Amino acid sequence: MFRLVRRLGPLKPTTLLKSRFYSGAQPKPPNTDILIKSLIFTAGSIVGGYLYSSEVQQSTKSTLPIDQVTSPEYANKEQLAQAIEAVKKVFRKNTPDYDESLIINSSQEDKDSHSDTYFNSYHPEPNEEPQYVIYPRSTEEVSEVLKICNKYKVPVVPITGKSSLEGHFINTRRGVCIDISLMDEVIELNQQDLDIKVQAGLGWETLADYLSEYNLLFPIDPGPGASIGGICANNASGTNASRYGECYKNVLSLTVVLADGTIIKTKNRPRKSSAGYNLNSLFIGSEGTLGIITEATLKLYVKPKIERVAVVPFKSIQDAANSVNSYLLNGMQLNAIELLDDKMMSCINASGETSRKWTEAPTLFLKIGGSNDKVVQSTVDQVKTLSSQHNSIDFQFARNDEETEELWSARKVALWSTINQGRVTDPSIKLWTTDAAVPISKLPQFLEETKEDIANNGLENTLVAHIGDGNAHSFILYKPDQYKLAEKVVDNMVRRAIAYEGTCTGEHGVGLGKRQFLLEEVGGDAVDLMRNIKLHLDPSRILNPDKIFQIDPKESRSH
Amino acid sequence: MFKRVIIGTGFLTTGLLCYQYGRTRPHSSFIPPDMFPSGSTTSLPKISPPVYANDSQFHQAINKLKDILKEDQIKDSKVEIEYHTRNEFTPHEPGANDKPRVVVYPHSTEEVSQIMKILNDYKVPVVPFSGGTSLEGHFFSTRQGVVLDTSKMNKILAVNYDDLDVVVQAGVNWVKLNESLKPDNLMIGSDCGPDGLISGMINTNASGINASKYGAMISNVINLTVVLPDGTIIKTKQRPRKTSSGYSLTHLFIGSEGTLGIVTEATLKLHPIPKFETVIVGQFPSLLDSTNTVSQIYRNGIHPNAIELLDADMMHCINYSGYFSKEWDEVPTLYFKIGGLTPTMVEEQVKVLKDISLKNNCTNFIKAKDKEEAEELFSARKNAFYAILNYGKNEINEDVRLWVTDIAVPLSKLSPVLNEINTMIRKSGLQSIILAHAGDANFHCDVFYRESEKEKCEALINEMMDLGLANEGTSSGEHGIGNGKRNFLVKELGQDTVDFMRRIKLAVDPNRIMNPDKIFKIDPEDDGPY
Repeated sequence: MFRLVRRLGPLKPTTLLKSRFYSGAQPKPPNTDILIKSLIFTAGSIVGGYLYSSEVQQSTKSTLPIDQVTSPEYANKEQLAQAIEAVKKVFRKNTPDYDESLIINSSQEDKDSHSDTYFNSYHPEPNEEPQYVIYPRSTEEVSEVLKICNKYKVPVVPITGKSSLEGHFINTRRGVCIDISLMDEVIELNQQDLDIKVQAGLGWETLADYLSEYNLLFPIDPGPGASIGGICANNASGTNASRYGECYKNVLSLTVVLADGTIIKTKNRPRKSSAGYNLNSLFIGSEGTLGIITEATLKLYVKPKIERVAVVPFKSIQDAANSVNSYLLNGMQLNAIELLDDKMMSCINASGETSRKWTEAPTLFLKIGGSNDKVVQSTVDQVKTLSSQHNSIDFQFARNDEETEELWSARKVALWSTINQGRVTDPSIKLWTTDAAVPISKLPQFLEETKEDIANNGLENTLVAHIGDGNAHSFILYKPDQYKLAEKVVDNMVRRAIAYEGTCTGEHGVGLGKRQFLLEEVGGDAVDLMRNIKLHLDPSRILNPDKIFQIDPKESRSH
Repeated sequence: MFKRVIIGTGFLTTGLLCYQYGRTRPHSSFIPPDMFPSGSTTSLPKISPPVYANDSQFHQAINKLKDILKEDQIKDSKVEIEYHTRNEFTPHEPGANDKPRVVVYPHSTEEVSQIMKILNDYKVPVVPFSGGTSLEGHFFSTRQGVVLDTSKMNKILAVNYDDLDVVVQAGVNWVKLNESLKPDNLMIGSDCGPDGLISGMINTNASGINASKYGAMISNVINLTVVLPDGTIIKTKQRPRKTSSGYSLTHLFIGSEGTLGIVTEATLKLHPIPKFETVIVGQFPSLLDSTNTVSQIYRNGIHPNAIELLDADMMHCINYSGYFSKEWDEVPTLYFKIGGLTPTMVEEQVKVLKDISLKNNCTNFIKAKDKEEAEELFSARKNAFYAILNYGKNEINEDVRLWVTDIAVPLSKLSPVLNEINTMIRKSGLQSIILAHAGDANFHCDVFYRESEKEKCEALINEMMDLGLANEGTSSGEHGIGNGKRNFLVKELGQDTVDFMRRIKLAVDPNRIMNPDKIFKIDPEDDGPY
């Protein structure tokens, strides 16, 4: 006991009393008989306590297994009401023309929209919804709200774009939702330094529009609707990642509000730094479990002066992958390397959403950029040569901007054409967007086996892959009564990725849906280290509870 | 007799009951609110000083180590101790007693784990050590414990050509690794001083000339195998090129300077060696002209493989060295490496580069005619350090020393900061040179000083650091904080951020045995000025 105290802070009188109580020492004065008894009692206690304390040494460990933790205790109804009252006070003070419904909302509509989406693979239980949705408008307000929530132990689910897929924002503890989508300003653009500081509620598409006026680019391009906060919290990426890397490579600094309301800034604004722990990367991918990201300074790139698209169908996925490997080994820097499988291509043809008909074979979609036509042409020639060495069937290349857009349109409509095709056969059709990544050399086998498994189970599916990163998404269509079947093939796919030295998620995150797979991927000790970090930084466990890994030994979900 | 039995039984029973009761306590309440400082940060005054092994516990620990290690794996000879105490480049000297007592050389991750279990049990402080080339007292034995030297763990475990990655033991030297990869036309992305080992590079998030193209170490690591302070072995990830699976433990350990665990293995990204590459040298009348050139090059979408800036003083040292037959203008000079898939691609970039340079008043624009000339031109940058030492020893004093700084600022602030630094130096009467990885706006202002001028130099360096921080910069671009810059980290990021780091440290290393006193203070009684 004493060692535990040492480790964490100075002794307080209450603790001393308690530790004495734990050891059972309750000496009661006079009366010799009682004195002897109490002497025995005390002596026994000392020995017992000693043995116990030597056992407590075990808690000088670096990890924290789930069975060494008790269930968290959160605010009851009354405490929640008190907390909300306190939050209202803060807002009233900050806002002269205070309109409560805009800032603290408890309408069913708002609760619903902050609980689930069509695209989620993993859905909330009927009672899993926030009691209130709070919309702060500044880092300071987030801090004040978190201070209150931490004091009353109100569970908090931070939300930005609501485009996550693995149940990241399910309110498992019926607390509050902090929606930072009102914080969507650009704070400062530094053109000469190629960086920009924004509030975390800013959508990436809005940012892209803003930057294109300056001919600049923030390279992270996940699904539509995502905001910078969520992008950071999931280490998101997209088609640009093979060129520019994922989120963590493109963030210079974050402003984060910690669980207790402390505001920290992770870095200054230099392009690189070796100063202290890499807190950027600790928060990037932490899915709102360690703090709420309120501002971010992002790296920018100059848009390629000229960018063209090449579309290259191959006989097999293996041929396409070999071809990609040869591009990479030759040091080519393509701006995007995407693979669509034969089913995806026929789906696009059937949907009629693009103006041309495509060869229904595994097809690479490549973006080739450069400072002038000569440079681009020089790369295109090389790509063509290397592709034909790996059994390409065709090579279509856009000669101008219009054609470039037309060719890329097929990649753009991939997801929706799959859903629309599915709805032709069944209007209530559901879509499961999967996400796994493996080392590039293992990708063809991984994809072939996955396609075969899904087909053998009688489900329709299409496939797109950020093949330059070995990251693949199967879009699996299933009828509502086929959920279990869909779940089975998805589980198979993820486990297959892990068996091929891959990851259960390349860019979507773990959320609630993939906790079991994270455990299988990195092992119990690594997850226990994550939990140890989490519980030290958020001792009341209020921040996005139950996500990424279990924090409550009594909680038992299937994932 | 009967009474005694009763007393004995009572004694045993209460003892057992209390023991059992106590046992259940930490399980049933992980965080008693009055015991665990609530909140998310740990400030220094709120913790008590760490308690480490006393002499007898230390010897017990060493005896246990002897049971599992061979004789040549545990050393305490004078030479070994001295080698692991300091190097000649660290400006802040270790304290008189800051010496390890024992040096151990594990051969495998499992051995490191066994060692750490013992040392954690006995609370013996551990300083992880690899190349010994760090500059800020990273490996000072401030607590006189064990140095764990990973340099014998130097095997290349697997080269995955098709995945463009390599799995190594962390004691591999990066130059040797690149040599062995060269026949396959591959290289790793990061570079640093030639004697650096991978584990040290990971622990300081090192980088160098290649960083403007490939990023610092943080951008080039796929996974790590780490032994935690209590001996637990974890592998942070498998081998996917990208992942969003949980906390990014890989990146938490990169730059943690051995304060959170010991990196024993790593999977690193590989890059193809550029097929065609040339070297360009551009000389400019002012620093501002040179940094404007750099920023306009980026604005035109050109990403050279290296952009190095040498200031007028540095060019003077190079002329002085007589290494080149040609006399260089003693003005700010940029060295570029321009690479591409084809000669055309290189040429096209050079054209733009020349155009921009001339617009920014470039007085001397030289493009290497061939590979030999390219190598010769760039050797000025590569051998800069020797040219500096040569100049200092001959022109200033045989015993002259060099205080190496490592500041990085946003690119737009680089030339105003460097100009101000030049003014400071002139005022101080000391001499210096400036080398910058201009693409990342990371510069080393290296100041010559004699022993008698140390205080003056130190004041100058501190002033420089403050200037960098005032310009949204960092106290370390690539060398790390170590024991010598802790106060500047607080100035840079604020007390709360550092208190947050400290809490992470205490969570992972509750006994505070891992590389104590580095990056930030862990002992309220530590009154070190830095």
